[in-house]
Amino acid sequence: MFKRPVQSVRSSIILLAIFLAGLMVIGSASAQTSKAIRIGVPAAIQLRVGRDTVDAVRMAIEEINANGGVMGRQLEMVVADETENPEQGISAVRKLTTDERVDVLIGGYASGVVLAEMPHVAQAETIYLGVGAASPSITAKVKSDYPSFKYFFRVSPVNSTHLAEGLVAFVSTNVAGNLKYTRVAIVGENAKWAQEIVPTLKKGITDAGLNVQMTELFDPQTSDFSPLFSKARESGAQLMLVLLSHASSDTFVKQWYDARVPVLMGGIDTKAQDADFFQRVGGKAIGEFTTAAAVRAPVTPKTIAFWDAFVKRYGRAPVYTAPGAYDATFIYAAAVQRAHGTSPDVLIPQLEKTDYVGVAGRIAFDDAHDVRAGPDYVSVRFAQWQDNGARIIVWPKALQTGNVIVPPWMRR
Amino acid sequence: MSKAYANLAGATGFMAVMIVLPLVVRGRYFVGVLTLGLIYGIWAASWDFMSGLTGRENFGHALFIGAGAYTAGFLNTIWMANPWWSLPAAACVAVVFSLAVGIPTLRLSGPYFSLATLAAAAIMQRLTLIFWERTGGEDGLQGIAPLLKSPLELYYLCLFSLVAVVAILLAISASPWGMILRAIGGDELACRASGHNTTLYKVAAFAIGAAPAGLGGALYAHHQLQVGPQLLSVFVSVSVITMAYVGGIGSMYGAAIGAILLTVLTELLRGAGEWRLLVYSTVLVLMLFFRPHGLVAPLWQALRGGSE
Amino acid sequence: MNDILIYGAVTSSVYAMLAVGFTLMFGVARTLNLAHGSFYALGAYGTYLMTTSFKLSLTVAAVLAVLIVTALGVAMERMLIRPLRGVGLAVPMMTLALALVVEQVLFLGFGSEYRNVPSFIAASVIVGGVDVSGQRLLTVAVNGCVLACLWVFVHRTRQGSAILALSQDREAAQYVGIPVDRVYALVMGISAALAATAGVLTAPFLTVQPGMGLMPMIKALSIVIVGGLGSVRGSIAAALLLGYAETIVAYELSTAWTELVSLVAVFMTLVLRPAGLFGIRAR
Repeated sequence: MFKRPVQSVRSSIILLAIFLAGLMVIGSASAQTSKAIRIGVPAAIQLRVGRDTVDAVRMAIEEINANGGVMGRQLEMVVADETENPEQGISAVRKLTTDERVDVLIGGYASGVVLAEMPHVAQAETIYLGVGAASPSITAKVKSDYPSFKYFFRVSPVNSTHLAEGLVAFVSTNVAGNLKYTRVAIVGENAKWAQEIVPTLKKGITDAGLNVQMTELFDPQTSDFSPLFSKARESGAQLMLVLLSHASSDTFVKQWYDARVPVLMGGIDTKAQDADFFQRVGGKAIGEFTTAAAVRAPVTPKTIAFWDAFVKRYGRAPVYTAPGAYDATFIYAAAVQRAHGTSPDVLIPQLEKTDYVGVAGRIAFDDAHDVRAGPDYVSVRFAQWQDNGARIIVWPKALQTGNVIVPPWMRR
Repeated sequence: MSKAYANLAGATGFMAVMIVLPLVVRGRYFVGVLTLGLIYGIWAASWDFMSGLTGRENFGHALFIGAGAYTAGFLNTIWMANPWWSLPAAACVAVVFSLAVGIPTLRLSGPYFSLATLAAAAIMQRLTLIFWERTGGEDGLQGIAPLLKSPLELYYLCLFSLVAVVAILLAISASPWGMILRAIGGDELACRASGHNTTLYKVAAFAIGAAPAGLGGALYAHHQLQVGPQLLSVFVSVSVITMAYVGGIGSMYGAAIGAILLTVLTELLRGAGEWRLLVYSTVLVLMLFFRPHGLVAPLWQALRGGSE
Repeated sequence: MNDILIYGAVTSSVYAMLAVGFTLMFGVARTLNLAHGSFYALGAYGTYLMTTSFKLSLTVAAVLAVLIVTALGVAMERMLIRPLRGVGLAVPMMTLALALVVEQVLFLGFGSEYRNVPSFIAASVIVGGVDVSGQRLLTVAVNGCVLACLWVFVHRTRQGSAILALSQDREAAQYVGIPVDRVYALVMGISAALAATAGVLTAPFLTVQPGMGLMPMIKALSIVIVGGLGSVRGSIAAALLLGYAETIVAYELSTAWTELVSLVAVFMTLVLRPAGLFGIRAR
């Protein structure tokens, strides 16, 4: 039996004294190197997407600093954990803007968190370059209330509406065209972003002459997808379009494979984009296609160089927030250079004029400060997991490295 | 020194520190952290009133917090009401919820009340997600107007609210009324045998505890400028209970101070990066192991000399 | 129809494993063990660790994982819970804090991404016209066996009788000389073993990530409420009821409503019959 230490008033007082000392420490303004330009990175550091955001910004900063910095000033990064909880997110951006007094914010992942942070960032009049949140609501605010929200720009990813449109285009040409499929099932997690794009998907698919046999959104907590697969099979669908972000893609795919569901599967599956996804699910992702924001392919002259440098430096392949974060840092630096300053009044007009060929594509903003999507800008890309874990780009045609295949059990 | 004087001295000292603190440590950010701590303090103290005194543990305090917050959110974004209306409205809505949950369940003995509160908060959270078109779903409601322009002013408003809430709750707790609540916590059967309608007292205590929770929810909404379903989660309920626990159950002032301490601790741990939550939970484990009766209230009672 | 029968059985058996352990802890040891989900998670991760880092065979790794988690559970009960008994909410709080510690340790040790545990039986089997993975059938079989063994243990052995006695009347049991502390440790061990086994079996086809213990924990709580706190019979009945109800809703209605089923069941139980199916009536 443990011997409890004697109830000591003294030890408790010491504890409280440490607390008060801590209060003083965090309360006092932090020292600032006067000449550096400070980049605040609100990121969910416990997640891969957050870590890659931080690492990519770091890489970009080092390169820029090595080339003399911006206007002779060095760049510096300050990270704050925003988690997936809005309360923590608000706290993180507040810390970065009012305490650390950063010049710009580059980061973001969960749309709900970013939306919660927006008024606070706007109040602090700090520019925010989003790299991970895809909700159109974010940039819609820029358009509806420009004076308050003009600070926000989305560098990546392409917003979910564009993704949905790209998916429709891909399915109606490559999939329906090559495989002669006509019957589609739409399946996704019952979350706001998916609920919002289902109508777009449905309309697009039907307009393209295909039939939507079934639509079902499942509870995001679902861990057993057998009922869903049974229904998809029974509906006669040949293709299952999936909308997965926070739900368990790994489980979904493994169960799809194990049950040998005779329906081709793919769509917008955030986690399936990870370079190690195929391996993580023991090869069971074969045949799944999903968006490919970060691929080791010559999307632009810079893409492969970035990919290899990231892998070399960090020992792992980047996820979709990394190219965005990397590009955002360079875009910011270039805008500061053109504006000869970091204050939002001179910087925002320069950012609006951005026309930069980055890792992800040619980046320019529309009138809602949203990254332009399309063949001349940042293309919506889809890649499919094929034999031996090869990631084949199947859309757009210009970047295609192979044709769409079906999973082994569907091959005659 | 008599106990009453000691308590008064302690309260004054605490107030003095809290009034001066944001002025001494410069930085808008830190004031925001403390404001959040004060709001959590209101929630923790209000939880402690009912659950600490009567011993009937409420595992769904988030229901009142969320109800208050969403009331403020709806009033402000959909009906464009002046933010100040949120405060009384939120408190009223929370009380209504407390009656809806409390009246059927507090007549029963055993853990059913606790489970019902847990279930009620969970069901409410579910409903906000189901009716996402009206409540904003996972993203919640944005664009809520702030109550006061200056963060310092908001801080003092919250401080004033916290002190008022704790003072009122302590006053009720010290009254003959409060004695009965404590008696219920001690031995409900005996209390009932003496002729008191214990259910009525419990329901009243539950409602009294719900009002500040709703009020705090409204303050939260106008401070964060956003509300979401996370406010109805079991995570919030548990955080509130933890804070009350650290403070010393049944003391109310302990809960308030515990809330401020834990909020500040979470902030201090920012430097730990990925290890933040591990350190936090380990500290909690150690604290529970070595001080199972809580930190703040037992400490104050020991310092003051003599037991309650 | 056969789909529902078989998949419902798989779900119910897992729920039963989780709920029985939880209700034993509550009914016998009067402990609200909020770290119950952690045993489930540790079972899965233990298997993962042993197959990847120690390169053990799957069966050996699984058995070892369950044994280690059981030992951990007993140690936790002995060192961290026992000293706090009787101090109000201290025990549930402690288990909660421990659950968070376990989740963080798993996260820091294995990362936030999902991990892959290979199936024991990779093949697929056709049962009653339904294509079921061997792993799921194994789950039902093993869970069923374990619960049957548990029943035998509780009703036919001395230690089992001690457990029953304690759950009926603690003081009387003490008077008769039953070593309360040791029985508590035993019950914790059983509870941990059941949860860990469930984790080991489902890891191949369900999620393995650091937060995986939360949902099972909440499910177990819901089932125990519906079945009656402290009643093993109730837990099994409720597990079957909820497991099948969820499966039926998923197949016949929509998978958007599956998680609502347990919530509605809990609500109805608390409103209509708070004691649960087999619990002691509330007065």
